[in-house]
Amino acid sequence: MTESPGTSASAVPAARVWWRRLAARLPTVAWLTAMWVVLWGDPSPGTVVAGAAVAALCYSAARLPHIPVRLGFRPLHALRLAARVAYDMLVSSLRVAFHGVWRPRRTNGAIVAVPMRTDSDFLLAILSALLSMVTGTLVIELNRNQRVVYVHGLPVNDAGAVRGLRAQVRRTEELLVRAFGTAEDLEIFERLAGLPEEAEAAAAAAAGRAAGEHTRREGE
Amino acid sequence: MTAADWITAVLLPTGALFALVGTVGLVRFPTLLGRMHAAAKPDTVGLFLLLAGAACQLPDLRSAAPLVLVALFQAATVAVLAQTLGRVAYSRGEIDERHLVADELADAVERARKDAD
Repeated sequence: MTESPGTSASAVPAARVWWRRLAARLPTVAWLTAMWVVLWGDPSPGTVVAGAAVAALCYSAARLPHIPVRLGFRPLHALRLAARVAYDMLVSSLRVAFHGVWRPRRTNGAIVAVPMRTDSDFLLAILSALLSMVTGTLVIELNRNQRVVYVHGLPVNDAGAVRGLRAQVRRTEELLVRAFGTAEDLEIFERLAGLPEEAEAAAAAAAGRAAGEHTRREGE
Repeated sequence: MTAADWITAVLLPTGALFALVGTVGLVRFPTLLGRMHAAAKPDTVGLFLLLAGAACQLPDLRSAAPLVLVALFQAATVAVLAQTLGRVAYSRGEIDERHLVADELADAVERARKDAD
């Protein structure tokens, strides 16, 4: 993450730092308060005040670090992302369910390297959570420096399915960046997406070779 | 029966079916990761459907709000659980290569090892 100019603690007066620290923590306290109110099922002023007090107390007692959240929000793309994830969840649940009932021993998986085109910690974290939530995809490893996620997919039985899995992950990534990325994230994404994808082609070729060897081994 | 009753009548059995099929998959898949896929995720979809079905029977929005929290925490925790389990299973070598079409992580690890030598 790059430090944007003018936000370093030494550059601003102490009073403003204090105020900023409080303001930056407010969303978390508001979220904790909202959960408290929902759990009580009673949005009366007393509950809200008590909730805010408990949230503030927990927050200061736990000494949670404050992480500056740099995310954008585009409602239309967020809706598309939600629809995409809901669809993926339902369809892949049905597929996994089908394979669980019909010939589970013939069902194979694959661990696929998917090069990412975003460099934001938040987006990568959200993406791996989303992928792990959807049936049939599971993030095993994340290489932060090279921006590669290793996704286990099921069912994946041939090289075509490996390509399909990679395309699915990259489509989810694109929707996520468009929905929640900042303008800067989007710019990086567009630049990397525009590159002639040599690395990706090499990875796909390697996957195809591996899949070919695998089927040959099985055939013998 | 009202429309809400009909929705519940469809959603509850469908959700239960998803949970059942997920459990069948848990027993029948041969690999640890396959079992994890079957156990964690169709169950989540099943739970969402059950919650939606139950929400239709509640008198007002206020009493349905906690169900949204249940769904939210299920979604958040299942992702963490799946990721942790997958990671541990892989690093301990609990992976059956006969059921893997491709393992590009192993390829990458091998490349990194060669570069280090």
